[in-house]
Amino acid sequence: MDVISQLQEQVNTIASIAFNTFGTLQRDAPSVRLSANYPEPPPNAAEDASSFAEQPKLMSAALVKAAKQFDALVAGIPLPEGGEEAQLKRISELQAENDAVGQELQKQLEAAEKELKLVQELFRQATDNCFNLKKPD
Amino acid sequence: MATATYPPPPPYYRLYKDYAQDPESAPEPPPPIEGTYMCFGGTYTTDDLLPSLEEQGVRQLYPKVPNIDFKKELRSLNRELQLHLLELADVLVERPSQYARRVEEISLIFKNLHHLLNSLRPHQARATLIHILELQIQRRKQAVEDIKRRREEVQRLLKESLGTLDGH
Repeated sequence: MDVISQLQEQVNTIASIAFNTFGTLQRDAPSVRLSANYPEPPPNAAEDASSFAEQPKLMSAALVKAAKQFDALVAGIPLPEGGEEAQLKRISELQAENDAVGQELQKQLEAAEKELKLVQELFRQATDNCFNLKKPD
Repeated sequence: MATATYPPPPPYYRLYKDYAQDPESAPEPPPPIEGTYMCFGGTYTTDDLLPSLEEQGVRQLYPKVPNIDFKKELRSLNRELQLHLLELADVLVERPSQYARRVEEISLIFKNLHHLLNSLRPHQARATLIHILELQIQRRKQAVEDIKRRREEVQRLLKESLGTLDGH
C-alpha cells in the first residue's frame, strides 16, 4: 500500500483506539464516591479491580505506539523539493523527450520493415529460381 | 406480475445507415462535456478538485501557504491530537459535563489531518506520472537499441551469405 493510504489507515486506527479506550474506561470504571451525602458504593470483586488497573496502561501504551507509528510513516513520505512547478516542468521535459525517442523508434521501425520486405522479396525470388531450376547469374 | 420492457435504443442509429460507404454522411460524435452536467438526476462536475476546508465549514488549523511543509504540519497535528486526548481524559475526571467542546476539537483535528493527507494526493499523482514517463522513455530507448542491433546483424548475415555464394 502506498504511504499516503497507510497514513490514512493509521489516522483511523488512532481514532478507533482513542474511542475504544474512553468507551472501555467509562463502561468498566468502578464507582467513585463524589460527596459524603452519597452512600458508600458497593465493593466490587478483587480481580476486577486489578485487571481494571491494567487496562488504562495497556490502552494508553497502544495509543502512544500508534502515534509513534504515524510519526515514522510521516518521516517516510517521499517529498522531493521544488513543489508543483518543478514537477510540472519535469513532466513537460519528459514528455518532449518521450516524443523525440518515440519518433526515433518510429523511424527505426520503418527502416527495419523496409529491409524486411526487401529480404522477403529476395528470398522469394531465390526460391522461385530454385523451383524453376534457373541457373544463378 | 407486470414486467417493464427495456427502453428502446436511441433513434440516432438511422443517421449512420450509409456509414460503411461514406463515413462523411453521418454526424460527428458530440464533443466532450466541460463544466457540470446532469446524469440520472444528479449533478456531476468534470473538474475534480479537493474542496478546501472552509468550503466544508471546518476551521483550518495549519497555516495556509502556497507550499506547505507537509511533514512538519502532520507531525504537529499528531502532537496536538495527543494533547487533546489527554485533555479529554482530564475533563472527564474533573468536569464531566464539559466533554462536548473537547470532543469537537478532537474531531476538528482529525478532519484537518485527513484534509492534509488528501491534499498530498495530487502531488503523488504527478510523481507517479513522472515515474511512468521515465519508465516509458527507458523502454523506448531499449527498443531502439534492439532494432539497431538486429538490423546490423541482418546486414552482417546478408554480407556473409553473399560472400559464401560468390565463393561458391
